[in-house]
Amino acid sequence: MTGAQAAGMPGREADGAAASAVKAMQAEGRHAEARERYAEFVSRHQRRASRIAFHYMREAAEADEAVQDAFMKAYSHLSSFREEFPFEVWFTRILINGCLDRIKARKRRQRWIAPMPEGPGGERDFLERAAGHGPSPEDLLVAGQRRRALSKALARLPERQRSIFMLSHYEGCTSREVGALTGLNESTVRVHLFRAIRRLRTLLGDSAGTAAYVEKRRVHPK
Amino acid sequence: MSILNKLRLNGHLDDTGLAQVWTEQSLTGVQASHTHLQSCADCRTRFASFGAWADGLRADAFAEAGDAFPAERLAAQQAQILRRLEAAERPARVIAFPKFSRPMSAGSSLPARWITVAAVAGLIVGVGVGQRMDLRHSFTEIPATTARLAKPPLSDRPVNPEIRAVSDTIREEAFLSEIDDSLSRASLPELRAFDAFTPRPGERPR
Repeated sequence: MTGAQAAGMPGREADGAAASAVKAMQAEGRHAEARERYAEFVSRHQRRASRIAFHYMREAAEADEAVQDAFMKAYSHLSSFREEFPFEVWFTRILINGCLDRIKARKRRQRWIAPMPEGPGGERDFLERAAGHGPSPEDLLVAGQRRRALSKALARLPERQRSIFMLSHYEGCTSREVGALTGLNESTVRVHLFRAIRRLRTLLGDSAGTAAYVEKRRVHPK
Repeated sequence: MSILNKLRLNGHLDDTGLAQVWTEQSLTGVQASHTHLQSCADCRTRFASFGAWADGLRADAFAEAGDAFPAERLAAQQAQILRRLEAAERPARVIAFPKFSRPMSAGSSLPARWITVAAVAGLIVGVGVGQRMDLRHSFTEIPATTARLAKPPLSDRPVNPEIRAVSDTIREEAFLSEIDDSLSRASLPELRAFDAFTPRPGERPR
């Protein structure tokens, strides 16, 4: 399954039409109606936007603020939206730029603030989650370890590769869209995605990868 | 991957090749149509495994983000966004300056204002004049001057003429007796020689 198929991009035509309608309402001064219409867009895209912001920020509270700011900014600058790209791409670009600005600000702050020590497993709310209903503690532990490993591996990617991997694989953007979001051309996007997946493969291990295959080939040569 | 392993792959797709095919498929959204994949069941299996691994990464990432943003949080977020949008469109509300419970009289009464202005002006003039004058000097002189002004000399006072004549006589006698005393004393030995040469009243010159 490809990223685009998995993400199931919500109706882009509907987004474009909604954006144009909201723009017209704003111009006519029908603000209450414009907000109501924009709320539909918010509810349709906030989950995806929160996910993107969370993957950038790695912290829910900051991601939440980044998403709110992006929706606010998109609404107030709707008049500058051109139909060259889908509205979703335009909005995602606003969101990513906001996240990158926040990351820069956070790095500046972190120079002056000592980090908070984490729990023994690195996950602060593990005990709380293990005591509740849902998956078993063991499952949670394994899933947590896997997510941490993934998170660490992603953090070791260069920023551009990480962005492209997330947008393409997680959010299902095409090379053209990723190019529009990152300001890179399509072939560069392709190269970065290829390098990102190879690096992740190396960092996370490849149980289903070549090493096993080579071993298998040694036992059962073709 | 070592050269030996590459040779062992024997034309099959290695991990890099699989990554290339996966990248193409991921970006275009079109099912991979690699010639070797179509003909090699092993590589197809390995590519499926590669894809499953990559899908696992996405599933983990989605699950993590889903944990961080449950439905309640998303609902709260949406409500907050709409509140902010509404607030942004409302004209700015000017907060009135806190008022006093009772209006201050000083600010509204005209005579009080004039008094204040006069007091301030007087203070300024006073300070200015004080700077120019040597107050310390004048303060030290004040008692003598005032004493003189307050108590005029005895001669200036209107006195009874008889009393005045008696007092003048007393004063002259006191003066003469002082001279006599000083002449009769001549206590200092150094001055005795001068005293001897000094003619006395009623003596004839030698």
